[in-house]
Amino acid sequence: MGCSSSVPARSTGGLNNINNDNSATDSKDLRAKLVLLGDSGVGKSCIVLRFVRGQFDPTSKVTVGASFLSQTLALEDSTIVKFEIWDTAGQERYAALAPLYYRGAAAAVVVYDITSPESFSKAQYWVKELQKHGTPDIIMVLVGNKADLHENRHVSSQEAQEYAEKNNMVFIETSAKTADNINQVFEEIAKRLPRPTAS
Amino acid sequence: MESPASPASRLDFYDFIARMRRPAAAGLFHSIRNFLASLSQGEPNAEEGGARVQAFFAEMEAAIRDHPLWANASNQEIDNALEGLEKFIMTKLFDRTFASSAEDVKADMEITEKIGLLQRFVRPHHLDIPKVLHNETAWLLAVKELQKINSFKSPREKLICVLSCCQIINNLLLNVSMSNDRTLSGADDFLPILIYITIKANPPQLHSNLKFIQLFRRETKLISEVEYYLTNLISAKMFIINVDGRSLSMEESVFQAHMESARLGNHISVASSTSSQGLGTSTAGLNEESGVTEGLRFPFMDSETESLTPGEVKQLHEHYRKVVTRYKLLSKALRKLSVDEDQLLNSVDD
Repeated sequence: MGCSSSVPARSTGGLNNINNDNSATDSKDLRAKLVLLGDSGVGKSCIVLRFVRGQFDPTSKVTVGASFLSQTLALEDSTIVKFEIWDTAGQERYAALAPLYYRGAAAAVVVYDITSPESFSKAQYWVKELQKHGTPDIIMVLVGNKADLHENRHVSSQEAQEYAEKNNMVFIETSAKTADNINQVFEEIAKRLPRPTAS
Repeated sequence: MESPASPASRLDFYDFIARMRRPAAAGLFHSIRNFLASLSQGEPNAEEGGARVQAFFAEMEAAIRDHPLWANASNQEIDNALEGLEKFIMTKLFDRTFASSAEDVKADMEITEKIGLLQRFVRPHHLDIPKVLHNETAWLLAVKELQKINSFKSPREKLICVLSCCQIINNLLLNVSMSNDRTLSGADDFLPILIYITIKANPPQLHSNLKFIQLFRRETKLISEVEYYLTNLISAKMFIINVDGRSLSMEESVFQAHMESARLGNHISVASSTSSQGLGTSTAGLNEESGVTEGLRFPFMDSETESLTPGEVKQLHEHYRKVVTRYKLLSKALRKLSVDEDQLLNSVDD
């Protein structure tokens, strides 16, 4: 396993201070809670680490630990989206706890491993869960990770694409190892986030 | 990360008190006194209290921002004042808002008792904690942070105990990933460790502490990363409440046997510490208990071997497994207590 180098580029040496000022946000700035779901070992945290390290934003704070990360993304229309990324434990025994995490999430990234059909079934389970209990209008992205291992592929792109379309999801295949398509996942979400109504 | 008892946080609080004593703050002080008085009437109701306290915090924030005493104050200074306010209010209201209902007290007791049992047999591998992350020293530090939670009365300080515990786990994950060239772990590794730490720590009044933080920590501060880590402890609590054989990767019968043997262990240690003939007393209790449930537990005791159907043989085999597991655990428990099994058996009159 592994997604090449493994440590955040920069760490501030601690959880964001509890007293951190939640600095006044510009009207064009969006804050979006994003939850990551998927079997353990599909590379959920790799995808996020790739995303967070790949950005060159000198003001972003990478905190110690990969289970919560935040990253801002500037869009072409000059909207700035601050993603707050909540990782969940993917092992079966913790599945019942997931609703505590996806409550109130604006977006969910459901990850599977293209070499593992089991992880794809698990992804479908999460999609159903989100449809039943998630925030209404939650933006869902289906991510087939480990696309670099195509010689071991066991889940066809077409099958996943069809499944995603049927469930009104964005579908993207990524490789956290080569960083392929990682940013696209977050850009696709950012594009779809509801903009605050102009006043 | 600041520690709850750090000079900085105490300074904030005294600064707040000092400002409140100034004549110019009389209006604010009056509002606070009125609010405390109004909330101290009637039956305590934590949920309703939470909503009112949060509304008061918002009201006071606006008042402080407009107040001459804080004219030209930075956001940080205003925030300090609000932290002081939260601590002042919640210390005054603590007895009415913390573990104030019979249900809360009961929930706390049940969790404490359950964790007490789980502590006796849950091991890291039951929760999917990989070997490489086993680190008794770091775990003990995290345990100690969580156990401090009752040393504080303000929601913020209690929350800091939770965050410090999580930070120690994160540091461990980071160190392991750097020294082993291993991918930095996400929640797949973080949550299992936090659950294990929670079981080891058996933090006092876990339910009430979580509820208190959720209801009374200033809403504007319970967001983002802080909210994430608090959610993890809430989910650890939920895992513990609902734990069964499946969630620990063991047969349900084995899980039940473990729980029962842990109960027995607790029972004996309680009995032997309170009475000089502790063992005698507790075995008597055991006999009584098994007398009542014997028929249910051992349904084939009076059956004829020849008349058993294949289905019943299967059932019997299942029972046999349970009995053997239970026996093994009991023997182990007795050996731990340095009690000789045969001697104990001989001492029981049938």
